[in-house]
Amino acid sequence: MLSRDANSLYWLSRYIERAENLARLVDVKRYDALDSGRSSAESDDLAWDTLMRVTCTDEYCESFKTGDQKEDVGSFVTLSESNPDSIRQCISNARENGRMVRDQISEEIWLELNRLHLFLRSREARNLWTRRPDAFCKEVVDFCLLFNGLIDSTILHNEGWRFVQIGKYLERADKTTRVLDMLALVEHTDRLQIASALRSCSGFSAFRYEFKGDFNMENAVDFLLFSQSFPRSVRYCLRQLDRQLHGISGTPEDGFSNEAERLTGSLLARMNYSSVESVWAQGLRDYVDSLQTQFNKIGQEIFEIYVLLPQEFRGVVKEDAWQVQWQQQQ
Amino acid sequence: MFKGYKAGSFFDEMYGLDQPECLQHYKFLESRFERMSETELNEKQRTLENGFLEQGITFTVYGDDEGTERIFPFDLIPRIIPGDEWTKIERGLTQRIVALNLFLNDVYHDSRIVSDGVIPEEIVKGAAHYRREMEFVDVPQDIYIHVCGTDLIRDGSGNYLVLEDNGRCPSGVSYLLENREAMKRAFPSMYREYGVRPVNQYPELLYKTLQHLSPRLGQQPVCVLLTPGVYNSAYFEHSFLARKMGIGIVEGRDLVALDGYIYMRTTKGLVQVDVIYRRLDDDFLDPVAFREDSVLGVPGLMDAYLSGNVALANAVGAGVADDKVTYAYVPEMIKYYLDQDPILESVPTYLAWREKDRSHILNNLKSLVVKSANESGGYGMLMGPTSTAKERRDFKSMIESEPRNFIAQPVVSLSRQPTICGKYSVEGRHVDLRPFVLYGKDIEIIPGGLTRVALKKGSLVVNSSQGGGSKDTWVLYK
Repeated sequence: MLSRDANSLYWLSRYIERAENLARLVDVKRYDALDSGRSSAESDDLAWDTLMRVTCTDEYCESFKTGDQKEDVGSFVTLSESNPDSIRQCISNARENGRMVRDQISEEIWLELNRLHLFLRSREARNLWTRRPDAFCKEVVDFCLLFNGLIDSTILHNEGWRFVQIGKYLERADKTTRVLDMLALVEHTDRLQIASALRSCSGFSAFRYEFKGDFNMENAVDFLLFSQSFPRSVRYCLRQLDRQLHGISGTPEDGFSNEAERLTGSLLARMNYSSVESVWAQGLRDYVDSLQTQFNKIGQEIFEIYVLLPQEFRGVVKEDAWQVQWQQQQ
Repeated sequence: MFKGYKAGSFFDEMYGLDQPECLQHYKFLESRFERMSETELNEKQRTLENGFLEQGITFTVYGDDEGTERIFPFDLIPRIIPGDEWTKIERGLTQRIVALNLFLNDVYHDSRIVSDGVIPEEIVKGAAHYRREMEFVDVPQDIYIHVCGTDLIRDGSGNYLVLEDNGRCPSGVSYLLENREAMKRAFPSMYREYGVRPVNQYPELLYKTLQHLSPRLGQQPVCVLLTPGVYNSAYFEHSFLARKMGIGIVEGRDLVALDGYIYMRTTKGLVQVDVIYRRLDDDFLDPVAFREDSVLGVPGLMDAYLSGNVALANAVGAGVADDKVTYAYVPEMIKYYLDQDPILESVPTYLAWREKDRSHILNNLKSLVVKSANESGGYGMLMGPTSTAKERRDFKSMIESEPRNFIAQPVVSLSRQPTICGKYSVEGRHVDLRPFVLYGKDIEIIPGGLTRVALKKGSLVVNSSQGGGSKDTWVLYK
C-alpha cells in the first residue's frame, strides 16, 4: 500500500486510542475527586495536576498554569482548542488522517468519526461536559470502542488493518505506562489510588478476577505490565505489535527482518522472561521511563522502514516528512 | 408555493417566457411541491444538509479562518431537461470536444490552422497555458482533453449557449453525483415517476477513459489520482473519485521519477504508475520543468511524460483550448476541422487586442462583462451593469495596458429557475449548467450535469467560491 496511507492509518488509530484513554482518565479523576474528602478547589489542584503531567506536553502544561485561566483543567484536557493534546484535538487529528484514507476505511467508520468530530466542536458538547461530565466521557469512550469494532468488522484485514493495529497497541502500551507513571509519582499509594489506576485502564474487574481484590501496589504493577491476558497490559500490547509487524513483512515470528521487529521482539522477550521483582530492582519510574523510550524508538523505526522508504530517497524527503511526523506527535 | 411567482423578463426553466402555466415537464413537480407543507419542506432541507455535513461532502473556502469546510448549498427544486432537448446538447458537446482536441493536436504539431490563416499565431502561442515543451510531442491516442466541463447558459429565448470550456481540471462532478443520491432519498416516488436517466456510471466511465491511455499494453494499468493535498478546496472530490474508481489517491510526495519512469512509494517498495489523473495545474506538476517553488509536484514527471512512459489526464498544455480568447475562435475551429456548423452557439465575444473591438469595449464598459483571459472561479471579472465607476476606471487602464489579457461579452441574461428562498417561498435565481464530457475510447457524457445557481438575488455569478449553490439536474428518458 501507499506509504503515506500506511502512515495515516497508523496515526488515525493512535489518535483514537489516545482520545479513549484520555476520556477514561478524565472520568476517573473526576470521580475520585468526590471521594477525596477535599474541597473542590484543593482536590482540583491535586488530582488534575497529575493528569496534566501525564497527558500534556510540558510546554502546554506551563502555558496553562501561567495563562489567565479562563478554562478549568477539565475543559483544558477535554475541549480546549489551544491544547493540542485535548480530546477534541485528538479526534480532529484522527479525522484529518481519516480524510486522507477515506478510500481505505469503510463508510461506517468515516460517518462515525465525522459525527464525533462535529459533535466535539458543537455547543452541545460543551453543555454536556458542564452538566454531565460522566456522560460526556462515556460518549467519547463509546465512540472509540465502536471504532475498534468497525475496524474489525467492516474493513479488509490486510496490510492497512495491520497498521491500524500497530498504531492502537503502541499508543495503548504507552498510555498504560503513563498510568503507572501517575502511581509512581505518589509517595504512599493507598487503595483508592490503585483502584483509580486500574479503572483508568478499564482493568478494575479484570484485576479483581486475577488477584481476587488484593489491591496492593505490587499486584497492580504486575497486572498492568505483565498480565498475559489483560488486553491493556504492556506485555499483551507488545505481543500484538510483534505479531502485526511480522504479518506485514511476512517474517516468521521467531526472527526479524528490520529494526522495528528486532526492538519489539527483544522487548517482548524481556517482559516474557522477567517479573515484577525486576521492576522494583530498577525502580518503577526508571523502568517505565525506559519502556517509553523503547516505544518511541519502535515508532520511529516503523516510520523509517515503511514511510520513508525507499532507502535511496531518504536524503531527499527526510526533512519534510519529519516535520509532518513531529507535528502529529504532539 | 408557486402562486405569485414572477418569472420576470428572463427565460425561466420552469415557466418559459413568463407563461401563466409552467412547462409541461414541470407540471408534476409543481403539484408535488404545492402539496408539501412548510414542515415537510424544511425537514427535507435539513435532513439533506445534515447528510452532506455528516458525510463530509464539503469544500474548503480560501481566506476564511473560521470553519474552513462548508457544504455546498443545495436547492431542493431540481432542474428538468426533456430527452430531446438533451440529445441536441449532447451532440453539440461531442462536436465541440472533437474540434478542441483536433485543434490542440494541430497547434502542437503542424499548426495548419495558423498557416491557413484561421487563427493568428500570437493568439495560440501567446496564451498563458501554451506549453512549448509539448510541441511535436505525440500524446497517447492524440487526446489532450480527456475530461471537460463545459459551462452552458440559456439566453433570453431559451437557447443553450456555451459560456466557456474547462479543459484543465474541471471540478464539480462529485457534487452532481452526491446531489443525485440525496434527491433519490428525499423524493423517491417523484424521481421514479419522472423517469430520470441515471448518472452514477460516471466513475466507471472515467476509469475506462484513464485506462485507455496506459502506455503499458497487455497489463492492468496502474492509475492514480494526483491531488494537491487534503487542504485543497476540491479535496473531497478527489478522494470521492479515487474511492469510486478504486484507484489510489496520491500527493506529489508519494511519487518519484526514476530513469524516466514514475513510481509510487508503497510499504513494499516502488510500484510503477501508468496513468495519472492529475488535479493539479501544469505549473505545479514538476518543479524541474515548470514552477521551481512547487512543492506539490514530482521532480522529473515531465521528463517521464515526454518519454511516453506515463500518461497524464488532461494532457499538459490543454489549457490553450479553454483560453477565453481561443474561445472566440471555436466556431471557426468547428468549421475548419469538421466542416460543420456549430450545434451549440457561443456568446458573442469582443477581443480587446483587436482595435475595433477594444474601442467598443472601452466605450461600453457599463453594459459588458469583462473577463481576464486566464482566470477562473469568477475572479478577475467586471460585471458592467453592477460595477462602480472606480472598478470601470481600473479595468479601463488594465485593458489598455494589457489588451491580450481581456475579452468582453454582452451581459447574457442567464435563465432563471424557481429556487427556495426563506422557509417556504420561491424566487427566481439564475442558473447555468456544467455537463461533464469524457473523451477516451468513446466520447461519454453523463446525462445532465451540475446545475449551479446564483443564490444571491439578481446575481449572475454561480461559482461556489462566490456564494453559488447547486441543484440536481434531471434528464428524462422521454
